[in-house]
Amino acid sequence: MTAIIGSIAVLAAFISAAALAVRGFLAMRDPSVDARESLKWPVFGVVAGALVAMSVLEIAILMDDFSIEYIANNSASTTPTLFKVAAGWAALEGSIVLWGLVLAIFVYTVYRQVARREEADQLGAGALAVLGLITFFFFGLMLTVSNPFRVCVEIANVGCFEGSNLPWADSISAFEGRGPNALLQNHILMAVHPPMLYFGYVGMSVPYAFAMAALMLGMSGSQWLQRTRAWTLVAWGFLTVGIVLGGWWSYEVLGWGGYWAWDPVENASFLPWLIATAFLHSAVVQQRRGMLQAWNFVLVISTFSLTILGTFLTRSGVIVSVHSFTQSPIGPALLWFLMIILVASFGLFVARIHVVASSPRLDSLASREGVFLLNNLLLTVFAIVVLVGTLYPMFLEAFGGAEVGVGRPFFDRMAIPISIALLLATANGPVTPYRSAKGSVVWERLRTPLQLALAGAALGVVLGNRSPILVIGTVAATFLMFVILRNLYVAARKVARKREMALPAAVLHVTRNDAGYWGGQFSHFGIALLAFGIVFSANLTVEREITLVPGETGTVAGYDITYLEPFSRTEPHRTVRGAAIEVSRGGDVLSYEEPRLNTYNNSSQAVATPAVYESLKGDVYLSLRSLNPDTVVLGVFWFPFIWLVWVGGLIAGVAVLWSRLVRKPTRDNVPVAQAVGDER
Amino acid sequence: MSARTRQIIGWVVTAGLVAVIVVGMIIGDTRDEDRVASLGAAIKCPVCQGEAIVDSPSETAQAMVVVLEEKVAEGLSDEEIFDFFTARYGDGIRLDPRFTAQTLLLWALPIVAVGGGVWMILSRRRRPELVSGETT
Repeated sequence: MTAIIGSIAVLAAFISAAALAVRGFLAMRDPSVDARESLKWPVFGVVAGALVAMSVLEIAILMDDFSIEYIANNSASTTPTLFKVAAGWAALEGSIVLWGLVLAIFVYTVYRQVARREEADQLGAGALAVLGLITFFFFGLMLTVSNPFRVCVEIANVGCFEGSNLPWADSISAFEGRGPNALLQNHILMAVHPPMLYFGYVGMSVPYAFAMAALMLGMSGSQWLQRTRAWTLVAWGFLTVGIVLGGWWSYEVLGWGGYWAWDPVENASFLPWLIATAFLHSAVVQQRRGMLQAWNFVLVISTFSLTILGTFLTRSGVIVSVHSFTQSPIGPALLWFLMIILVASFGLFVARIHVVASSPRLDSLASREGVFLLNNLLLTVFAIVVLVGTLYPMFLEAFGGAEVGVGRPFFDRMAIPISIALLLATANGPVTPYRSAKGSVVWERLRTPLQLALAGAALGVVLGNRSPILVIGTVAATFLMFVILRNLYVAARKVARKREMALPAAVLHVTRNDAGYWGGQFSHFGIALLAFGIVFSANLTVEREITLVPGETGTVAGYDITYLEPFSRTEPHRTVRGAAIEVSRGGDVLSYEEPRLNTYNNSSQAVATPAVYESLKGDVYLSLRSLNPDTVVLGVFWFPFIWLVWVGGLIAGVAVLWSRLVRKPTRDNVPVAQAVGDER
Repeated sequence: MSARTRQIIGWVVTAGLVAVIVVGMIIGDTRDEDRVASLGAAIKCPVCQGEAIVDSPSETAQAMVVVLEEKVAEGLSDEEIFDFFTARYGDGIRLDPRFTAQTLLLWALPIVAVGGGVWMILSRRRRPELVSGETT
């Protein structure tokens, strides 16, 4: 029953997506077609099909329906409810269902925008047609190579041995499910991180679809950019939050003490982020100055292609990684899809190059536009470094070359200088006027923040923190923070004087009045905090391995780590063995921690789960290396200010929505916004 | 105080701070460099999925870290240590690839990208005589 309802839902969405594409293209070509009417049912079909498919899958998982192959192999009756829900997207087939649902939500929001318009909306109809094609492909995957509703026809001892694509085949219910991958049922973040990432990934389809529609219609200008600005920001915010939560998950679960390893899958999520970030900035240049028209098409096509490349890399089994999905026939399908997108999009772009290529030239490199170009250059080069480093070993092996590993040392060496240059450019951009900037004006705005940043670093140097990366990184990050604070202070002081307001009220007034701009600045501030956290925690880490007997105390970075006793307990889905640890400092007990080894029923290998004592000064990170009858071996790390990495990243992701979070300015505020506008 | 004097004081303060930082960095880090951590991050764990030996909890990786600690204690140079491990596990064990004909593109492509980007930006600039000719 589950299989039949689910398959019908997927089929309905599949057919509706095809109808959406066809009718969308017709409405795009002929302005007399009423897109609202002709696309209503296809959109309804896509949304309803996607919703039903995801719901049926979730309900069946919660009800332990092991006659479905996916459920028998990825959930178990003893799996806690939260992780059962997460099992709906934690493995390959389910992740595509979630992808389809998110895509359907975006189809619906775009349709609402199109339907609200009074006049014929050829651009919106074309965008819906492109989204229809993308939706058609993903639901096609669910019907063929990535079918979540395959019924089990031959059971194994645990789980399902063989499934069938035919929903009406005679199914057998497995005795018990295999349960989720041990690493994926170890932390609550697993339930949140993938949906966030998917909203970010899939959201990038919307600007891409509008860009393609604009190219097909031969529309020059930035209408497609204005229409998609909000979606791009939302998608970018989700992508940022998704990546940060992924890093946090890795830190909290994997026990090696880090959050970013330049793993190919991490790189796969970072690549579209880099290009999307470049796009956010170059879109501003096009909207303000009419420049970079062609470049924006290149960026938006690249961003979307990179999301598909990332999906291919994680799901095809071509790379080995901590969290890639298992090998499956979905790989070739995604690779073909990627090829078609690249050829069709760039083909269309080249065919329409005469429409988009004419744009004004740069007056001077020393201008806001110049800094934006530098930002785009740095982000693009960063992306190329990551792309080449990720794919190079694969290509070399494929063409019979030597086996080469490209890892952290390579990426770090490349990424550190680029990131520092990016931070400096980010600090410079907002204080540099458009068109042409005078050095003295820019210097006047940068002087105090630079001196404050240098003073902080000089103090650090005197106190003994002299590693060049630490010093330069801290200067860059704090410089950026001080520049933003200074800009806000100057703008608010002006308003405060003019309107006789208190300074805090003026700050609120300024940031609400020009919410789009300040949202970006707050996001930059988040990035600066993130950079500060990375630099500090990475360069001032203290790491020690200590072996303790019960009652014994070891000291790491001034914290006393006392091994109280071993413990073990049995839960329905796992066995937990661990060490009870007391963390204290100067005689004050701060916390009791339980680093442990979790052995899940479906896996013989124990998963080491670290315990983290978090404080504003930093984290004491306890990783259980081995638990012997009379001793315990602990890896103890001290990470100062590491919470800034998560908090900064989350601020960066959420702050771009500032303009949606605060009320729109009232009309009488506008002159004031212009009065402070000269500082921008 | 005139604007000129204030400007000069600003420059002097900035230059003084830069001098303190530069001198401090030249004197050097007061902490010892952790060679085991930096080398261990550049050696791949052969039985894991793309993880460095310092990052992996597997027994093989932990055993290799112990060997690495011994080699560092013996005072071997970085290259000698890499040679020791590549002799046993192959070149693929290096996460920081050697510069060879086969890895040339790994470094060349980013440099080409920088060069191409700079050239594109410069070529998009308005020609100087056009700027001066335009008095809008």
